[in-house]
Amino acid sequence: MNGTPRIINRILLFILGVKVLAIGLLLVLLATVPAVADWWHGWSAGVWARAEETFKQTRFPGREESWLWLAAAAVLVALIIAMVAWVSQQGKGRANLLVSGEDNGDVDGDVRIGGGVAEQALKAALAERPDLASATVSTYEVGGRPGLRVRIQPRQGVAPHALAEDVSRLVEALDTVVGRRTPVLVHIVAGARAKFARAERVR
Amino acid sequence: MSQIDRDTANTEPDAPGSPHMRRILHRESYSSRAGAAGLAAGLVIVLCVYALLESAVRVVGQPPWLIDPGTAAQRIIALPQGIPPLLLGASGGVIAMVGLFFLLNAVFPGRRARHLLQDPRVAVVVDDEVIASALARRARTAAGVSQEQVMVVVSKRLVVVNVRPTSGVRVSGDAISAAVREELAQMSPWPMPEVRVNLATSGVIGA
Repeated sequence: MNGTPRIINRILLFILGVKVLAIGLLLVLLATVPAVADWWHGWSAGVWARAEETFKQTRFPGREESWLWLAAAAVLVALIIAMVAWVSQQGKGRANLLVSGEDNGDVDGDVRIGGGVAEQALKAALAERPDLASATVSTYEVGGRPGLRVRIQPRQGVAPHALAEDVSRLVEALDTVVGRRTPVLVHIVAGARAKFARAERVR
Repeated sequence: MSQIDRDTANTEPDAPGSPHMRRILHRESYSSRAGAAGLAAGLVIVLCVYALLESAVRVVGQPPWLIDPGTAAQRIIALPQGIPPLLLGASGGVIAMVGLFFLLNAVFPGRRARHLLQDPRVAVVVDDEVIASALARRARTAAGVSQEQVMVVVSKRLVVVNVRPTSGVRVSGDAISAAVREELAQMSPWPMPEVRVNLATSGVIGA
């Protein structure tokens, strides 16, 4: 439900995967096939000779070093920044407001309801249940609209449809309180805590 | 309170069948690959930081930290020499495996082991393990055996119920199958899986 950039993830992972796989296969071939080693010597030596030539031509005036090193450093810094930006995009999309609209009544002003209202209400309603190991509620923004994500972890053997029905009823009660229907996702998860805890025998 | 955007509140744009909700459910059913993305970014960052260090050291004319870029290039060009072939092949294999991991993560659809449940108000996603544990409980009561004698595996289109009966006590596979089917029908997960019940030929003693 979060705003993780899935297509970018797939493309970047594909590019990186292909490159790393190619390097690994090249190393394996170098170690096993002599013909590949011969080709590698000729090809890589040529590339390195050309690189050294450019380094010589791009020296700082009056100094030994090439400014290409500086350019390479700049490219590396840009790459690092891009990677940090990529990681920071994962799992983004948390929102603060559940409702933000104009009140077209007689009183001037806007109406804003924080996501904490729904989060606290649903969590408090679910906290007492003996058939749940844990329940968390969070507000996300999906496609510019706020939505609630309810993550519940039932104990072993609890029927998920009965749980979903109960949560559905709670959400309907919340709808009447808030005055607007927000999209709600209920995710019923199995976790280590549910697995090792005792089975629920009463329900 | 009823005056807040009454129009949008009544048209129900966020019912589970709406395109918006369907998109959310689709996203919940497939992996976002956030973990692999984090690993990949971390790997690239580490390599970049090291290369940055060496090139910065080179720019200011200091001696290299681990290896001078020129020496490194010479060694790479000479590669099958200067390193035991077994070590070279093994490290190549490891690197290829890492690359394959990222590549397969990107190429495979990344379906998660989850089913959807129908509900008029909320969108519901259930981990397959939760369904399995609910069905196992039902199968256990239908067969009259203990918890350890039932194992249920839920996949996208198939539910396999493995039951080891108690030695000397007859267990009806049809009754278990009917009970599990009934529970599944009440649950009505999407996609709806088939049910298969396997009764073990050897029983458990003293359960």
